[in-house]
Amino acid sequence: MLALLTRTAVRSAGVARRHLTKYTKSHEWVKIDKGVGTIGITDYAQSSLGDVVYVEVPEVGAEVTPEEPVGVVESVKSTSDIFSPLTGTIVDANKEVVGNTKLINKAAETDGWLFKVKFSSEAELDELLSAAEYKKHIADGGDH
Amino acid sequence: MLPARHVAAGAPCGTLGRTAAQLAGVPPVGYVYLGVVPYRAALEMQRQLCRRRIDEIQSGRARTLSDALILLQHPPVYTNGRRNRGRVPAAEAARLRALGADYVETNRGGEITFHGPGQLVGYPSMHLRDHHLGARCYVEGLENTVVGACARFGVAARAIPGFPGVWASPAEKVAALGTHVQRYVTSHGFALNCTTDMRWFREIVPCGLEGRTAVSLQSLVARQPGGPGPDPSVDAAVPAVVDSFGAAFRCAVRPLAEVSPATLDAIQELLQQQQQQAQ
Repeated sequence: MLALLTRTAVRSAGVARRHLTKYTKSHEWVKIDKGVGTIGITDYAQSSLGDVVYVEVPEVGAEVTPEEPVGVVESVKSTSDIFSPLTGTIVDANKEVVGNTKLINKAAETDGWLFKVKFSSEAELDELLSAAEYKKHIADGGDH
Repeated sequence: MLPARHVAAGAPCGTLGRTAAQLAGVPPVGYVYLGVVPYRAALEMQRQLCRRRIDEIQSGRARTLSDALILLQHPPVYTNGRRNRGRVPAAEAARLRALGADYVETNRGGEITFHGPGQLVGYPSMHLRDHHLGARCYVEGLENTVVGACARFGVAARAIPGFPGVWASPAEKVAALGTHVQRYVTSHGFALNCTTDMRWFREIVPCGLEGRTAVSLQSLVARQPGGPGPDPSVDAAVPAVVDSFGAAFRCAVRPLAEVSPATLDAIQELLQQQQQQAQ
């Protein structure tokens, strides 16, 4: 019984390390898997933006930093810049959302992902929020 | 970096989604009317002001730059939104320029529109986080600003869900909207046709909406029964817009020279630089 419990605990810890989803205060989610972060906007963010009508995602191969915008989301006549919370190289971008922007409203945290970045700084991961911290951030007003 | 304020999808923003406690803490906005400013100079001024504000906010230093409601008019210019950048054929841009207007592609939301004399343009530089606003409720606040300003001229305009802008009737748009948000700081804004020569709009499909036309406050006021209505000039619209902006966003709106002389100096300095470079 003890052995079974231990084995389960080890297995779930391993899963958590390989598929860790983190968040930013500015309402992006980052799914970390083997040195690559998949990034999109959270469900909370899509709701506050309204219907998305246009998206620009970065080019594969582009070098990105948290300081410069990498894309744009347009809703209700308002364009909002998208930033990558991680420094690195873009290894994939979601072409599907460009043609079908509704995906961002319908499935912001799954099929509505925006781009994947092979990140170069582990330290930046420490800046990200856990799911519980992000939930609290939203409960506190979400805009601090 | 997306400004967010949770309001159920499709639900009206009401107090624009803010609680009484949040509203009590919103900062004042300083307004300034700059007269006629060439579009490209105003565009570059906004870009640099936005940059300076973001740098200052992110540095954590005491802030010297405040929110501003920048009001002005432009010489004739057609401008296009981010999603149409690079998509207008050179011949079409040349045709528009031959009419005596400039043609400029920008990073704002929305599609093609016209700015020119007799139109009051408002470019709010707002730090949305301070106002606890998401993009959707911010745009609703801009719509409410123009609706409130029109009401002060006896014109019943309204917003139509799904068709951003402010409409005097389902087919007539009195004001266009288009904004950009970078790290919570807004640029671009709204354009209210006061005494604009509306023939300029016949050369384009405003905001990509076929079968709908742009209309001026002047012609809406003239339709009212009972003789000459109120003066629909830009000069008369400035105080109406300032007043309704404060009502829509529930914040104090005072002259920028009072709220933040540093912001007024920055705007004037940036515009002077643009003027010198143009010469």
